[in-house]
Amino acid sequence: MPLNVDTHNPLVELLKVTKIYPPDVIAAEDVSLRVNEGEIVFLTGMSGAGKTTLLKMICCIEAPSRGVIEVAGRDITKLSRAGIQRMRQKIGVAYQDFRLLEKQTVKQNIAMAMEVTYAGTRKINARVDELLAMLNLSDKRDKPAGELSRGEQQRVTLARAAANAPALILADEPTGNLDPATTTLVVNFFRHLNEENGSTIIVATHDESIYANTDYRVLTMFAGRLYDYSEDEPWLNDIYALKSGPALGPAL
Amino acid sequence: MHFFSYIMHQTGKNLRQTWGTQLMTLLTVTLSVLIFTFFFLIYTNMIRAGERLGDDVRLIVYLEQELPEQLRREIENNIRAFGSIEKVVFVSRAEAFARFSAQLDQEKDVLDDLGPDFLPPSIEVYPARGLDDLARIDRLTEFLQTLPQAAKVQSGSDWLRRFSQFTKLLRVVVLLSGVLLVISLTFTISYTLRLTVLSRQNEFEILRLLGATSAYTRLPLFLEGLLQGLFGSGLGITALYLLYQNIVSRFSGPGFLSLFDFAFFPPELTAAIMLAGILLCTAGSLFSIRRFIRI
Repeated sequence: MPLNVDTHNPLVELLKVTKIYPPDVIAAEDVSLRVNEGEIVFLTGMSGAGKTTLLKMICCIEAPSRGVIEVAGRDITKLSRAGIQRMRQKIGVAYQDFRLLEKQTVKQNIAMAMEVTYAGTRKINARVDELLAMLNLSDKRDKPAGELSRGEQQRVTLARAAANAPALILADEPTGNLDPATTTLVVNFFRHLNEENGSTIIVATHDESIYANTDYRVLTMFAGRLYDYSEDEPWLNDIYALKSGPALGPAL
Repeated sequence: MHFFSYIMHQTGKNLRQTWGTQLMTLLTVTLSVLIFTFFFLIYTNMIRAGERLGDDVRLIVYLEQELPEQLRREIENNIRAFGSIEKVVFVSRAEAFARFSAQLDQEKDVLDDLGPDFLPPSIEVYPARGLDDLARIDRLTEFLQTLPQAAKVQSGSDWLRRFSQFTKLLRVVVLLSGVLLVISLTFTISYTLRLTVLSRQNEFEILRLLGATSAYTRLPLFLEGLLQGLFGSGLGITALYLLYQNIVSRFSGPGFLSLFDFAFFPPELTAAIMLAGILLCTAGSLFSIRRFIRI
């Protein structure tokens, strides 16, 4: 675990969280998770395992069917509508489907995240330029988002998620459309956010290359349950080849 | 400071993005206000004119022959006993001739061959001011017809009746145009906002995900409705005033309009009409905001 992680201060805590979509689709079952301040956590698993659902619950897009979710010490399942909106301003989310406004420029898309917090124009412009430079998108500043490649759109989504230097960043498949060089750029971007701003980052990903050979925590979702991926547990190494039910060891 | 500048900036942005629809809405609001206030202006002036004309009502009883003094007093008492009578004036043949001569002015020499007795004596009965009940005037007319020596009673109730019916019709028109105003203002604004929201549904959804507060999203739309009401009502009233000035200048001098004191609304009423327009438009925008915005 990296040195700057505050193990006494959990930023995100899930306690026996279950999410059932009608009529009886269990997307997450009894998930308990603790993510400390300043930590980077990778969430892996097959498609449909529940990774995106978990992220959606943390950023208040979905409500759990059972269980408690606390972010920065606040039970988000009990927040009012206004409270949810204020919480969302403090959580940066990079969506798998980007959620960009295609007719608006890259700059406008990123600025939106800061405009909802009533940030000043100068501050917005400076921050947008800084993020674009970090993600190699400076030359796309005034281009409509719809004219970018998928990889570029993905980076714009990341920039928007980081615009307010939030305490928590959730990234859903942030490197899915990227080449190796750009993937490295994104990983370094996450490191920068974590080290410079102290942002806690949870990344849902299939891409083993971004967490392999790191000392970050790696968790695995399988059939709605959460497991701690560890090299000491070889029976988890080939999780994608598993055909029968969970002989996976204890779930979290 | 940032909050207000953001809200104004967003409002301006909303208006610019759907400027075509906004313009049509403004036109609708202006025309609705103009139509309503036009009929309302005529109605208020008609009411005022009717009140004044009602004050000048008089009934004339033409007599077969002159009445002796004692009979005059008796008849006057009988007339006053009817009630609500302000004045009773006996006009002899000579007095009637003198009045007629005065009216003819320089042409009075045409009367030289007629002599002073060709006009009948009469009794002029002036009802009390505020007696505008046509039925009561009709009863008074019937009563006067029963007076001794009464040949004919001239009351003018026919034109009063027609005037009153016209005023009632105008009241219906004003009410209908008022209903039209309410419907057109609230629903036009509501549907304009609906179009705005539908055309920016994606954007509103993303704003919701980014944590935009209710004020951030709703206030600019609310302001849109308010501004439409303000400018639409203002333009409508201004157009009416220009029309009024045009009519007054065109028909000033001797003529039908000179019989009436055709006046524009007093400032308080003008302000009240504008406020009503603003409130209706704001109500329309609130209705849409509650229905179509989920932040």
